[in-house]
Amino acid sequence: MIVFREIILLLFALSALLIAVQCKKELSLSERVQQLSDAGTKKPVLRFNGDKFRQYVKGTPRNYSTIVMFTALAPSRQCGICRHAHDEFQLVANSWRYSQGYSNRLFFALVDFDEGPDVFQALRLNSAPVFMHFPAKGKPKKVDTLDIQRVGFAAENIARWVAERTDIQIRVFRPPNYSGLLALIVLLALVVGLLYLRKNNLDFLYNKTIWALGALAFTFAMTSGQMWNHIRGPPFLQKTQQGNIAYIHGSSQAQFIVETYIVALLNAAVVLGMILMTEAASKRDDVRKRRIYAIIGLGLVAFFFSLSLSIFRSKAHGYPYSFLLK
Amino acid sequence: MCVCVCVCVFDDRAWYPLGRIIGGTIYPGLMVTSAAIYHILNWLHISIDVRNVCVFLAPLFSSFTTIVTYHLAKELKSPGAGLVAAVMIAIVPGYISRSVAGSYDNEGIAIFCMLLTYYMWIKAVKTGTLFWSTMAALAYFYMVSSWGGYVFLINIIPLHVLTLMITGRFSHRVYVAYSSLYVIGTILSMQISFVGFQPVSTSEHMGAFGVFGLCQIHAFVDYVRSHLNKNQFDTLFRAVISTIAAAGVLTLAVLAALGKIAPWTGRFYSLLDPSYAKNNIPIIASVSEHQPTAWSSFYFDLQMLTFMFPVGLYFCFSNLTDENIFIILYGVLSIYFAGVMVRLMLVLAPVMCILSGIAVSSLLSTYMKQIDDVKVEKKKQRFEGNYFMRSEIATLFVCVMSVFLVMYTLHCTWVTSEAYSSPSIVLSARGHDGSRIIFDDFREAYYWLRHNTPEDAKVMSWWDYGYQITAMANRTILVDNNTWNNTHISRVGQAMASSEDKAYQIMRELDVDYVLVIFGGLTGYSSDDINKFLWMVRIGGSTDKGTHIKEHDYYTPAGEFRVDKEGSPTLLNCLMYKMCYYRFGQVYTEGGKPPGYDRVRNVEIGNKDFELDVLEEAYTTEHWIVRIYKVKDLPNRGA
Repeated sequence: MIVFREIILLLFALSALLIAVQCKKELSLSERVQQLSDAGTKKPVLRFNGDKFRQYVKGTPRNYSTIVMFTALAPSRQCGICRHAHDEFQLVANSWRYSQGYSNRLFFALVDFDEGPDVFQALRLNSAPVFMHFPAKGKPKKVDTLDIQRVGFAAENIARWVAERTDIQIRVFRPPNYSGLLALIVLLALVVGLLYLRKNNLDFLYNKTIWALGALAFTFAMTSGQMWNHIRGPPFLQKTQQGNIAYIHGSSQAQFIVETYIVALLNAAVVLGMILMTEAASKRDDVRKRRIYAIIGLGLVAFFFSLSLSIFRSKAHGYPYSFLLK
Repeated sequence: MCVCVCVCVFDDRAWYPLGRIIGGTIYPGLMVTSAAIYHILNWLHISIDVRNVCVFLAPLFSSFTTIVTYHLAKELKSPGAGLVAAVMIAIVPGYISRSVAGSYDNEGIAIFCMLLTYYMWIKAVKTGTLFWSTMAALAYFYMVSSWGGYVFLINIIPLHVLTLMITGRFSHRVYVAYSSLYVIGTILSMQISFVGFQPVSTSEHMGAFGVFGLCQIHAFVDYVRSHLNKNQFDTLFRAVISTIAAAGVLTLAVLAALGKIAPWTGRFYSLLDPSYAKNNIPIIASVSEHQPTAWSSFYFDLQMLTFMFPVGLYFCFSNLTDENIFIILYGVLSIYFAGVMVRLMLVLAPVMCILSGIAVSSLLSTYMKQIDDVKVEKKKQRFEGNYFMRSEIATLFVCVMSVFLVMYTLHCTWVTSEAYSSPSIVLSARGHDGSRIIFDDFREAYYWLRHNTPEDAKVMSWWDYGYQITAMANRTILVDNNTWNNTHISRVGQAMASSEDKAYQIMRELDVDYVLVIFGGLTGYSSDDINKFLWMVRIGGSTDKGTHIKEHDYYTPAGEFRVDKEGSPTLLNCLMYKMCYYRFGQVYTEGGKPPGYDRVRNVEIGNKDFELDVLEEAYTTEHWIVRIYKVKDLPNRGA
């Protein structure tokens, strides 16, 4: 008898447990929304594993949309682009969280491959990152996946896509970049400090040589095309398909950064040669030194001029002249 | 003065329907000069047609430039330097490119005026007389009337005065020179209607005004200093300076905040902040002359001068005088601007020639003296320390320098003949058998327009061809090369980039009768409208009415600009595409390729057999380079 009662009690307990578990699986809509918004206020981007994904993103009924980023952030996966996309996604989620129109209609979530591989399989995703929009009603369509190839994953573009899919406008707020300002302040502090230390002896400002060197350095920088580099942002150099390294760009419409440094050095060498020659002729120094100056100067001038001419020849096709070097 | 009459002239055949006030939107110097020369020659009964005067004006003025460069370099260093500088500027490609016969543009006379002003200014600084200062002001007035680049002058001359003040070289000569130049020059410059009141209201001219004030203060301080003893002077000086400085800064801040002082305009601001134009004003960024300069462009236009210039700087620094400081400033500033914008290579060329002339002549004169030391035994005392092989080294150096100069000449001649000698309205190419094929399509199309369209027909095309249509076809146009109204150009861009129906609305609104496009797909001419199309999209989308035009709609999903089957549907159905490729799908262009093969983009076009709804083809030239379409009228009601 007693055993029978125990068994009945046990059965009741088990069934109660089962029912409880059952209920837990089917949380009501309001509870889900409540849990999501609580979690969302603390962390704007929610991290889901497979179960949570199915419960919150796929579970019905829903009156909210979810934007989910499928990514692979573990270092072993070696997905550098996932990291950048994660930063941009975080920016959008933060902007949404602190925006005036923040509501329970939209949530941002993340599923990492290592935490939810079943989700990746179910959705047949084989690349990362992927941004998908799961609407409140119905299944996601083709346009509910952000076309990263075409649009990229910059925060502004993600926000624009979200607005297109959900009609919720998010103004992306990028925290201001203080690095430029900081660099400027440091520079100013250095200059002021320098002037203060030398305040008794400001003569160095009147020293012609320093200004002359400054002007010459500026000229070399400009004639070698540094402004072009600053505006167009070319690569440092180029590795061709055969594995060789190309230092000089083949056409005269473009240049590499290393190429501009080479040209600046060549110009500087020629000018140095000419200056040495002038010094040799006019100074009152030791005879032998002046002779050495003159010979070195002449050699520098002739050699580096021909070198720059041959580099120019390789770029401007059809140029017929050369000097010493071909 | 005859300039005042120009205000009343209104051109209603350009920028339809806005029209253009000629007097108020251009610099009259070039036109007044040509008219003056024409009238003088005809009065002397040398009858030269005004067209020939205009064609040969630029080479004439570049000869004058050579003479002025000689005088300027002579003032700075010596007659030898002047001669070398004059020879260099006579052949430098950087200047020749903008002053070929037939290029009737402001730069042709502007460089002459600029160097003349500089010469007068240097004379004024050296002598300190009112005569030379007034001559400088008159030359400055001539410069203001001829080119918008006078802003460079009105900033570099005050900068020079400021540098002289800082280095303690300020003297009564500089005071007289600058004060008279500023007052007379500014009053004269305001006589040009295009300039108007800008010299007292825009930031570009405030520097000159500030330095003028500073000049007066400095001179006054010197005067007071000479009348007081040291202690009194020091106290007074310190008190007054602090008050004035505070008051001055406060007034400037208030004026700027109130908006009385207009900020830097777009074109000049983009020189200070090079990325400004690219991000904010696409029409400035689109002009190919406004692109930054790669090092090979420097070398191409200036060759040897690129490294003789720093040597010249070194010589100037070795013996600093008031004039040398000016030329150093000019050189360093213009090399910065030339690096930012290819067009400003023109401003750099003269100073490169002058400084290189100084360098070459100094080096040569030093070393020529050392060559024959056989005869001048006594004068050798100056160069004590005769060293072995001195004359041999000197001879070698002079030979090397001569070789450099010869190579410079050869280079300049080659560059000028290859790159700057071809006309841009008649093109030529070599056929397969080496024979020369001439493409005279532009003139053919313009003369067709002239003879086959009504007098008051309005033609829509991209702004590059505006002046040509006005001059050769004599028809009213919507936009031209002056590009003074960005919104109107943007409207044309919207029409070109939209679908036929939307474009038809815009064309009816603008009263367009004919549309003209340039197409290079049949011949391989690569500066056609399809290659410029993205700029039309960017400019079209940059104003309010064009927000529906987004650049990324015209790219493929992979982000490429393609006209074949993979191309974006928006691109394949826009007006420009349809106009360029109408009936092109049936044409065989190259052996072994399908019909409709575009020889510039090297693909077979995607949208081939289509009909035009709102346009009908009026004329296509022999090689399909220019295509003209007539805009159809509204359909009859009930038809």
